[in-house]
Amino acid sequence: MLVSLSWRNVWRNPTRSMVVVVAVALGLWGGVTAMALINGWVKQRIADSIQNEISHIQIHNPDFLLNEEVDKTFNFDSVAATLESTEGIVGFSGRLKVFAMAQTDRANSGLVVLGVRPGSERSISGIPNKLILGSFLEGDFNTPSIVLGKKAAEELKLVTYELTDSIIQKFSAKEPKLSMEIQKLSGKRYKSRSDFIKALKWVLEPTLFNQYSEPIADSCISFRLNGPVVLTFQTSSGELHSEMFRVRGIYRTSNTAFDARMAYVNFENIASAVNIQPGHVHEIAILCKGNTEAVNIAEVLSAAHKNLSVRSWNEISPEIALYAAFGDFMGMIYVVIILFALAFGIINTMMMSVLERYREFGMLMAIGMNRSRVFSMIMMESVFLTLTGGVAGILLSTGFIRIFARTGIDFGMWAEGFEAIGYSSVVYPEITISNYLLITFLVIATGILASLWPARRALKLNPMQALRVE
Amino acid sequence: MAIIEVVNVDKIYNDSEVKVTALSNINLKVEKGEFTAIVGPSGSGKTTLLNLLGGLDTPTNGKIRVGDVWLNELKGSKLIDFRLRNIGFVFQSYNLIPVLTAGENVELIMQLQGVPAKLRKQVAADMLGKVGLADRINSRPAKLSGGQQQRVAVARALASKPQFILADEPTANLDGKAAENLLQIMEQLNQTEGVTFIFSTHDQRVVSRARRVIQLEDGKIKSDFLQ
Ligand SMILES: Nc1ncnc2c1ncn2[C@@H]1O[C@H](COP(=O)(O)OP(=O)(O)OP(=O)(O)O)[C@@H](O)[C@H]1O
Ligand SMILES: [Mg+2]
Repeated sequence: MLVSLSWRNVWRNPTRSMVVVVAVALGLWGGVTAMALINGWVKQRIADSIQNEISHIQIHNPDFLLNEEVDKTFNFDSVAATLESTEGIVGFSGRLKVFAMAQTDRANSGLVVLGVRPGSERSISGIPNKLILGSFLEGDFNTPSIVLGKKAAEELKLVTYELTDSIIQKFSAKEPKLSMEIQKLSGKRYKSRSDFIKALKWVLEPTLFNQYSEPIADSCISFRLNGPVVLTFQTSSGELHSEMFRVRGIYRTSNTAFDARMAYVNFENIASAVNIQPGHVHEIAILCKGNTEAVNIAEVLSAAHKNLSVRSWNEISPEIALYAAFGDFMGMIYVVIILFALAFGIINTMMMSVLERYREFGMLMAIGMNRSRVFSMIMMESVFLTLTGGVAGILLSTGFIRIFARTGIDFGMWAEGFEAIGYSSVVYPEITISNYLLITFLVIATGILASLWPARRALKLNPMQALRVE
Repeated sequence: MAIIEVVNVDKIYNDSEVKVTALSNINLKVEKGEFTAIVGPSGSGKTTLLNLLGGLDTPTNGKIRVGDVWLNELKGSKLIDFRLRNIGFVFQSYNLIPVLTAGENVELIMQLQGVPAKLRKQVAADMLGKVGLADRINSRPAKLSGGQQQRVAVARALASKPQFILADEPTANLDGKAAENLLQIMEQLNQTEGVTFIFSTHDQRVVSRARRVIQLEDGKIKSDFLQ
């Protein structure tokens, strides 16, 4: 009956209790969602990074890591034999990795060029599946092929601007007045954005120009497939060697910095261009079945090839391992802030509720309810209050995460900002059971702690004083 | 042996700047089965005396025995537990828990005593029957009149099987008829079941029903007689 008495006491002032219940529910939802978002983000960043950028394990000649000099290679076959017979390895790819200056007819920029064998590269890397245009390196051409990131293609001005009929239609639907005017540019190609904008300025009246020139330019952009790019390398004997490539494909990841820097060409093209010893590579990239497995495999490989540097993903990119810890930390800070706000709400509510019932507590203590019972009654009330909110919050956040774990939450409006720092703008919230339980436990613990003070207040009362009739 | 014995009791309130002597040199014995009124003008010390008898407050000097226990020997939770098992209380107001029904209010004290649930239900119904409220067992206090609420408080005090019941101005908030009715029920319980009642009052009609009348004035017993 004490339990049911406490439960009924909670609902004496339904509005006030509902406010706390809603606050707890929202607090829990906020905490869980924040954790889930950060967690989803970090997971995705780690997965993306491993898939597209660093893979699970990389093997190098230790000297290569110092200055990435082209002659610091190692023999591929001896390592490949070990890899073939190691459990838990999904695939591996021997690579050449050289720095090159890239030049087009309109711009130049520095690139890191990976010489790969397309079949092996596909078995370990996500890049061949990230093409937005063209194909990977498989085709057989007279001129060697290169695959660039979208950002690099833009920097090298491998783009044209052309107003197609479908784009004209799209914009006419938005603003009928545009239709006549942009029609004049139909079918013409512009090699640079500034030329295209100038042309738009010519045909559009100023207000329309101001409003529409940039969006039109954005949708008219197209990449010049098969456009020529001249790469200049330093050979192993120290001379410069230039060679022309044609762009066969353009990829895009969620990390703009990576897209601006990394280019892929066929292994043999680099091998002959910079004069690599036959059978040698700069790097072997390995994909394993799982992140933790990879760390163990790296140790085994390292022991087997003492003269080589074998590094697992968390050594190649320690900041990625740090993200995970930092993400948890940020999530916890957020949760703690929410809990503080909750604690104040609960203290306030329980205090009001205790003070309102001062005489009642006096009466109960006078007829023989001892302090520990009064105390546990108030505690129970607080626990009921937070538990009700807690259950509501769990339902709310479970539903929320269920839905968005599938569809993802699109922070599209800030996509550029996110991708500039290597994060995808679509986040799939994800939370571990243990984090879930932890947050729930913390919410309930907060409820209990927050009612200690009001409960103490009730215990200090003197029944005789409390009952005195004024 | 008397169930209550008060020996040389003074009560001096010292907590404000002025010292108030609420009771001085009280000596008193109450026998089992008494029906005793404590009367006197406002401020004469009635509430103070009842609080001392009920173990809600401690005398400045002197000592008080209830049954075979000297109250000054009990401290803290022992004292609360002693009240729970030995003394019934009926207050002027705020007797009942508003979220519990009449029956549950009566049951609550038995639960505190550790009486098993089944027996509790039976006794609660029984006691409410004795105060004429058998049909209101499931009503919450807000649905009961002031007089009915006081009768529930009496039923609760009875249910705890105390040595005696203390009632500080139980009729102060009741109209004449309800006051009459409450007193009648208390009197009947006293006569048929031998329940000991000690109550304070201002009301002359209530005083006239008492068998023993202790009159206080300025914290002293002015008279003590049977009528
Ligand atoms: N807690 C207290 N602190 C200080 N003085 C008190 C306290 N309680 C009672 N008094 C004083 O003690 C005296 C006796 O008070 P008490 O309440 O016992 O009188 P009473 O006979 O019950 O009066 P009433 O008929 O008005 O209820 C009064 O002068 C009162 O002001
Ligand atoms: Mg009084």
